[in-house]
Amino acid sequence: MQAGSSGVGYGLKYQVHLIRLSADGTELICEGLFSHPNEIWDLRSCPFDQRIFTTVYSTGESYGAAVWQIPELYGQLNSPQLERVALLDAHVSKIKCVLWWPSGRNDKLVSIDEENLFLWSLDSSKKAAQVQSKESAGTMHYLSGGAWDPHDVNSIAATCESSVQFWDLRTMTKTSSIDVSHVRTIDYDTKKDHILVTAEDETGIHIWDLRKTKVPIRELPGHTHWTWAVACNPEYDGLILSGGTDSAVNLWLAPTGSRDEITSDSGQNSLSLKVDPLVNSYTDYEDSVYGLAWSSREPWIFASLSYDGRVVVESVKPYLSRK
Amino acid sequence: MAIEDAPLDDKAKRMRDLLSSFYAPDPSVAGGSLPKGASLDAINTDSFDADQYMNLLVQRANLEGLLQKHVEMAAEIKNLDTDLQMLVYENYNKFISATDAIKRMKSNIVGMEANMEQLLDKIMSVQSRSDGVNNSLFGKREHIEKLHRTRNLLRKVQVFNVIPHSRKLLLFEELFFCGKEQFIYDLPARLGKCIKAEAYADAVRFYTGAMPIFKAYGESSFQDCKRASEEAVMTITKNLQGKLFSDSESIQTRAEAAVLLKQLDFPVDGLKVRLFEKLEQSLGGLQVKIGDVADALEESNDEQENDLQLGFAVAHDASVHEFVETVRAYRVIFPDSESQLIKLSEDLITKHFLITEQHMKKRVSTATFLRVLRIIWDDVLLIDHVLPEALLHDYCFKVSQSAIKQYVSSMFSHLLDDVSGAMMKVHPQQNNVAEEQLQVALEAGKNSLLKGSMDLLLGFRQLLEDNLDLLVKLRELITDWVQAGFQQFFEALDTRFLLLSGRIKSSPQDQSLSEGLQSEKISSGLVLVLAQLCVFVEQTAIPRITEARTEIAASFSSSGARGYEHGLVFHPTEISRVFQSASEKFLHQYINMRTHRISVLLRKRFTTPNWIKHKEPREVHMFVDLFLQELEAVGSEVKQILSQGVRKHRRSESNGSTTSSLSNSLRDDKLRRSNTQRARSQLLETHLAKLFKQKVEIFTKVEFTRESVVTTIIKLGLKSLQEFVRLQTLNRSGFQQIQLDIQFLRTPLKELAEDEAAIDFLLDEVIVGASDRCLDPTPLEPPILDKLIHAKTAETKEQNSSVASPTSQ
Repeated sequence: MQAGSSGVGYGLKYQVHLIRLSADGTELICEGLFSHPNEIWDLRSCPFDQRIFTTVYSTGESYGAAVWQIPELYGQLNSPQLERVALLDAHVSKIKCVLWWPSGRNDKLVSIDEENLFLWSLDSSKKAAQVQSKESAGTMHYLSGGAWDPHDVNSIAATCESSVQFWDLRTMTKTSSIDVSHVRTIDYDTKKDHILVTAEDETGIHIWDLRKTKVPIRELPGHTHWTWAVACNPEYDGLILSGGTDSAVNLWLAPTGSRDEITSDSGQNSLSLKVDPLVNSYTDYEDSVYGLAWSSREPWIFASLSYDGRVVVESVKPYLSRK
Repeated sequence: MAIEDAPLDDKAKRMRDLLSSFYAPDPSVAGGSLPKGASLDAINTDSFDADQYMNLLVQRANLEGLLQKHVEMAAEIKNLDTDLQMLVYENYNKFISATDAIKRMKSNIVGMEANMEQLLDKIMSVQSRSDGVNNSLFGKREHIEKLHRTRNLLRKVQVFNVIPHSRKLLLFEELFFCGKEQFIYDLPARLGKCIKAEAYADAVRFYTGAMPIFKAYGESSFQDCKRASEEAVMTITKNLQGKLFSDSESIQTRAEAAVLLKQLDFPVDGLKVRLFEKLEQSLGGLQVKIGDVADALEESNDEQENDLQLGFAVAHDASVHEFVETVRAYRVIFPDSESQLIKLSEDLITKHFLITEQHMKKRVSTATFLRVLRIIWDDVLLIDHVLPEALLHDYCFKVSQSAIKQYVSSMFSHLLDDVSGAMMKVHPQQNNVAEEQLQVALEAGKNSLLKGSMDLLLGFRQLLEDNLDLLVKLRELITDWVQAGFQQFFEALDTRFLLLSGRIKSSPQDQSLSEGLQSEKISSGLVLVLAQLCVFVEQTAIPRITEARTEIAASFSSSGARGYEHGLVFHPTEISRVFQSASEKFLHQYINMRTHRISVLLRKRFTTPNWIKHKEPREVHMFVDLFLQELEAVGSEVKQILSQGVRKHRRSESNGSTTSSLSNSLRDDKLRRSNTQRARSQLLETHLAKLFKQKVEIFTKVEFTRESVVTTIIKLGLKSLQEFVRLQTLNRSGFQQIQLDIQFLRTPLKELAEDEAAIDFLLDEVIVGASDRCLDPTPLEPPILDKLIHAKTAETKEQNSSVASPTSQ
């Protein structure tokens, strides 16, 4: 009963914590504490193997990315080193993130640095990763992050300063883009095709329909300061979680369902004016919230990570009945 | 043998056929079929076969029998031959006698033809004689018959004379005064006399009186009389028609003419149509005049032009009178034409209102509107007088309802345009030198809103207090409309504001409005003005309007209850709420716009340099200036619009100082420790500090005061700064640079902001964040820090003075 992702330890000792949520859901147990050689900037766990994850790390001046495997524990807590499965060492510039395909087993990885997009093919038995293809994002764009479309194994979205770009991995070409600036995080709706949620620094949260990329189908006000992280619930339609630098996590209910087909924009406006999409705001954080994840097992549980290194697990069950 | 028989056979066969047809008793019976097994008795049948018979005979009979048969047969043949011979002779005899008879007939017929011709001649001469006799007698017989008929008639008339007066028709009386048959004969002359004297009524009376007689006997006895009098009547009809169409004749005469024409069975319908067309034409002219009047009224807002206005009014009155007269005439002339006339006058009223509504598209003062209404109402009254069946009152009410409603709504939309027009003025000179510009715009907006709505209320009051029947009856409705109008006006105002601020995309019909307003280019000042204007609406305008409204409504029976049913009520509280939330939204938008600019600035500052290879800090970085400039701009905008709040001069001894002292001690601590130790304990210390520190609420509710807005913007800016710092990895020099910049910012920011504790906290947070992200967080030595800051302050002062000096000269 692993809760979502492992917590990221931005400590000076650079550790990776493996955290387990107890069966009754009231206690967080640290199962393992592994040291990591460098400062971690991004951490993603493998969707099909809970012992494998990737990190993007910085040595101060240069960046690197690697795939790791958590060793078998056999009871002891102060464990040895992490086993490195593969090193993603083709990058030159600042690596931003490494992506897994969220919807199932796929031996491909995508890593994004400021200028390039890499597609890796990972062979975990041989402990090696090969660059399958690589494409430059263009001179004018500095990529900052991305997300892999859970509905289409060949499509990923990458964020850059002024837009969100969509790439086809087969041809490694840019297919389309949405003009939206300074996106911090993007997340695909895993239940609904074509729905993408973006979190921007100042303008809050936007929900997009990828078939109509001119205007967002919905806007949420976001946070008092920047909106940093956003995550769509894997099970409940329109349930969106956002974390911001105003030390709060907001739970939104913004169903996009059939409404975008039935009503026009104006109708939507009036409707969204009537119903406050903000369901709840969790404000008992000491500092900015940077990490968010829904539990894949129990979709009403989420974990959040704030700057002070605290992982908070909450259940949204009390608010689900309002649906 | 058969071949020899062949030529003979044809003839013989014909012969036999003829004979057999002649002699055979019944050929059909004779032609019956025979049994195959022929017997000897079949000798007399048609299908007798001689060979077969012979064979049969030879087979059956013995020689003696055969011989006997032979003898028998020979005798029979002989008998038959003689019979045949006899018949031939007989026939020949008959033929000879027939030939004789024919010869005799021929000789007898020869003398016949001559006799027949003689007979024909004689018959012809008899016929011509009889024709001659007939002809010579015909004229006389005719005359006799005519005389006889006249005699009969006269006899009848005489009988009539004997009958008592009571049973007589009036017209027949006339007949007798004039002397019976003499009257009919005198009729044409009499009609002629009447035409000369123009006594058409008498003429028609005579003619119609004579009509039955003409009908009965016109074909015969009084043929000539009839023809003559019909001619006379034709002239009469013509004269009458002329009279009917000549406008110079009095209505009475024309009406009489029409009646007479009708009596003469003249097809009046055509005339009616023609006259009606004429009426419609005059109506068209009238409408044009109405348009002129409205025009004139609209233009003549000045007192001086009142004369002109009056002139038009008089002209209008005259034309209306004319119309009314015509209608009256028409009614008298054609009494059964109400429906047409009603339609016509309804058209007139509708047109009136249409024109008025068209004029309403431009701005029309209430007085003018009232005057126009009054004119229309006068028209209605006039027409109503002539045409009470038209129920023009009710119709007018119906039509005027929509007109007044439209008037009310147009007044509101004008007001809306005024207010948004005042706002639009802010836009073009964005960031201009004109300092007071925002204030001016705000004042203009406030003024136009308040004054406009007061004027509106006054205007409506005028409408309500006017004792024009029309308005009195519609009073309740008008109050409802005004109420609903205010409600809608404020709703529209809200949307208009949103549109102006670019929060919502304009719909196509507002394209013209938004053309100049590209969403990116919306000035932040405008948004601030809008925010403050919303506050004004909520706090001042609505209470005042409500007050004024109740004052007005109090003078009449309030129609509140009815209005509630129709949902036509002005809800001040609801509107207040709407504007309250709108004002907050705008304020937030303003803050957002401003912080956005700041964060763009900061982003540039923090993403461009390579922090890990930063050089020694030599001076305060220039982004600080830009940051302060932005804040200054905010300050100047805010100063124009927002009021000064009660400055909370809490030096925050308890809160702020502890924080700063704590963080100061933190820094001091850091200084004393060795680098290796520091790194380990740093995180713990930060957390410890936070534990003991009261959590500073950074993001508090924004108030509508200068300080609150500025403070919020500073807070957000600093928070962004903190986040940007956290995203970088710094070397020692980078850290020191940030330390220096922040230290420099501390004083000016505290001067600007009201919540010093929070500012202190955030500034410290930036430094803590920077040290967190620093590979070697060694702060600058305080003396160096002071020196650099001092240099910067001196420089800024110098700049300020140099900027200030040219303006003072």
